[in-house]
Amino acid sequence: MLLEVKGLNAGYGFLQVLWDVSLYVAQGEFVALVGPNGAGKTTTLRTIAGLIPPRQGEIFFKGELISKLAAHKISQMGISFVSESLNLFTAMSVHENLLLGAYVVRDRQKQLETLDFVYHLFPRLKERRNQLAGTLSGGERKMLAIGRGMMSNPDLLLVDEPSLGLAPNLTLDVFNALETLRQQGVTILLVEQNVNTTLHITDRAYVLEQGRIALEGKSKELLENKHVKEAFLGM
Amino acid sequence: MARSSVQSTIVFEVLRRLTTAAGITIILSVVAVIVSAVVAGPFTLVNAIVTGGMWALLAVGLSLVFGVMNIPNFAHGEFFMVGTLVSYLVFTPLHKYLRQNPSSVLSTVAPFAGIFAALLVGALLGVVVEKLIFFQLRRRSREQWVMNSFLLTVGLSVVMINGHQLLWGTNFKGIPRYWDVKPIDLFGVNISMDRAVALGLAVVTIAIFWFFLMRTRTGRAIRAVAQDETGAQMVGIDLNRIQVLTMALSSALAAMAGASLLFMFPSYPTVGLKPLYVAWYVVILVGLGNVAGATIGGFLVALLQTLTSYFIGVGWEDVVPTALIILILLFKPSGLFGSEVKGVWEQ
Amino acid sequence: MQKTETVSARAGRLGNGLLSILNALGITPLGLALIILLAILPFIPPFDREDLLRWLVGAALIAAQAIAFDFTTGYINVVNFGFAAFLGFGAYTSALLAVDFGISPWIGMFVGALASGGLGFFTGVLTLRLRGIFAAVMAWFVGLALLGLARNLVDITRGPMGLSVPTFLETASNRPYFYIILVMLLITYLVLRWITSSHIGLAFKAIGQNIEAARASGVNPTFYRVFNFTVQCAFAGWLGGFYAHYYGILTPQLMHTSHTVEVLAIAYVGGRGSIWGGAFIAFPFIFFIEWLRSSLTSLPGLHLVIYGLLLILVMIFYPGGVAQFYYWIADRVGKARRGSAEQSG
Repeated sequence: MLLEVKGLNAGYGFLQVLWDVSLYVAQGEFVALVGPNGAGKTTTLRTIAGLIPPRQGEIFFKGELISKLAAHKISQMGISFVSESLNLFTAMSVHENLLLGAYVVRDRQKQLETLDFVYHLFPRLKERRNQLAGTLSGGERKMLAIGRGMMSNPDLLLVDEPSLGLAPNLTLDVFNALETLRQQGVTILLVEQNVNTTLHITDRAYVLEQGRIALEGKSKELLENKHVKEAFLGM
Repeated sequence: MARSSVQSTIVFEVLRRLTTAAGITIILSVVAVIVSAVVAGPFTLVNAIVTGGMWALLAVGLSLVFGVMNIPNFAHGEFFMVGTLVSYLVFTPLHKYLRQNPSSVLSTVAPFAGIFAALLVGALLGVVVEKLIFFQLRRRSREQWVMNSFLLTVGLSVVMINGHQLLWGTNFKGIPRYWDVKPIDLFGVNISMDRAVALGLAVVTIAIFWFFLMRTRTGRAIRAVAQDETGAQMVGIDLNRIQVLTMALSSALAAMAGASLLFMFPSYPTVGLKPLYVAWYVVILVGLGNVAGATIGGFLVALLQTLTSYFIGVGWEDVVPTALIILILLFKPSGLFGSEVKGVWEQ
Repeated sequence: MQKTETVSARAGRLGNGLLSILNALGITPLGLALIILLAILPFIPPFDREDLLRWLVGAALIAAQAIAFDFTTGYINVVNFGFAAFLGFGAYTSALLAVDFGISPWIGMFVGALASGGLGFFTGVLTLRLRGIFAAVMAWFVGLALLGLARNLVDITRGPMGLSVPTFLETASNRPYFYIILVMLLITYLVLRWITSSHIGLAFKAIGQNIEAARASGVNPTFYRVFNFTVQCAFAGWLGGFYAHYYGILTPQLMHTSHTVEVLAIAYVGGRGSIWGGAFIAFPFIFFIEWLRSSLTSLPGLHLVIYGLLLILVMIFYPGGVAQFYYWIADRVGKARRGSAEQSG
């Protein structure tokens, strides 16, 4: 198992957001985490990425306990997190942002290969390689964030709400990019509010409600689930 | 056709930049330089440029620590003081030895030994301060961080100033000059070797530092932390390491400035206060966290001080820049170059 | 019925009435005891010695300054880093009025307060658009500019040579001065405590914690910040007047940043946002420091090293200062008392 989360409790200050969340992601899988606003999807990803210390529970990555590690160590172990706010280095060029994405990769040759791959995946980024990240459009920023996340050749990519605030055609671009990545063999854990599309492209999914895992299963089966239909698909 | 349009855009862009506050300031200071060179004599100008280089070193360090660690360092001048002290303690015995055993090679190198020792001690002290003080507070609470860390540096400043007094007393520990050689003649102005070296060191250091920040992996990581701490962690940058490094670099630069200027600023407990004020003038003037602007600002403030003491009188060189900066802040609260400052957060 | 009331019950009621008045003034029974102790201290050996009386006056002066300092720092969360300069501005105003125009120090000190308050108003307006640290640095620059003026306008201030100032009284004894400053300390406490415990204090705290949220909930940050700065500086100027006419000599050194740091350290060690913390700790602290200074003359600067270390340690390990410690003790005592009351009942 690539990633395994067991009985996770987490939150901010006095507020506990996650209650006994358990999930797993196998090598090569494309897994979705869906649910309503405030269910704790982002918190789950942030906790896995090491940005929030868990209160209880354990997180294993490649069989190693990572829930007590600092965020940069987790990143070095091969987990890339593309956050909702993107956390781009806005006063640096697109190119520099991508180079920083490969901060943990010491091998120069490998860096350049991945850079080529990212520029191939997002030709727009190549066009704007010398532009400051802060001057990019919303869609370009998402691409840059995903590209930066790819630069470290991660074994697992955590992606938080890539479609948020994007026009439908751009959303499609982003989802297509994720599809390509997955065909390249990248394991992805995706958080999305756009439940319909997400369930169509992913293998498995978890439904998070009020900080607890409410449902889990194959994405196709969840599409047929009565509760999912009523709550998320408006049917 | 296409070419001329490119040219006209460039001209337009240059014009646009020149009419911003920063551009106007630079134009005004170029005018001031020419006027002062004519009226006050080139010597004043040389003075302004030499001290300006050192103010730039100080301001860059202060700006860096604020940009990366969000610490408004009130104890920055004390690292300057440590620099003067270390260089004095290293250089004086060497100098004594050299007077009995003259050696031209060694007397060329000895001053650098002093300055280099100051650099090392400064860096080391920076590491100690980060580990013993800032890290401790960061681990406990990040609430009101900017203000609380500022107060920590206030305490640190008091401890360092009076620690100096306690251990080495209040007397002036200075040297008349580092190099006993004839001054260099440049366009009819005599520049002492000490001044020339100080300026050279400042320019070279800033250039190296600039290259380091802009072109190396670690330099890029430092800028990344300044712009987005979370993002930096996400790409695998160890915050603690960068913070220690930043503090060490900043204190080393300040100590080096102190050591290079030992011939102008003899070491005594509160010698760091004036450089501290100046570094703050510069940094506030150009916007907190703006490293590039700090370099230009260093020279600007030095020029302003020199002109003030020449035209208005000695003793006013702190009052006039202060008043001017207060005025500037009234109209541009984020500083002259402050519009694009990143990595600065509050509350 | 009332006539049959026992004497002790009546005394008890009187006591309760007194307590509620004190409570309204913001003075606890313990505080009252301390004030009474301070009032009789100049007659208790060894505190009746002139040198110790001088320490007492110095401590009370610092105590009052710490209260004024905390009024801004602990509430609107802006450190007035030019505090000493505002104190000095009041001091020079009052001193120059006395020297050049023969105006009585008793009037001069209030004019000084007005002058400093006016300057504080100006600085408050100046720093309005600046947040936290920027405002602190700006206030610092204003202070530095004032210090520079005091140093350089030698024709008026005599600069670093010092200005000799007529004192309040013709006496060589420090005791009357102690009572003057004690009354000033009490007035400073009562007024600032009264302001901070009213709805204005709430507004201050709201601004101090989150200026945007405060604005969103209808608190006008502009008014309260400027008001706070003005009041603080007016008190600083007033206390500066006492400084001038007590020590009888004024140098620009009074306006130096190191003096601000001294007050700041005491206010913080005392506990920010408590108003009384700094004043409480000032007395033992100043006595300790003065004792250290006078008994260890071979180690100049040691007392200031201790200042700095204490500030650092408190900031890192116990940010609430002495006030937090007091509340913690009071809480424990209260719980224990309630516990025993439940047991016996």
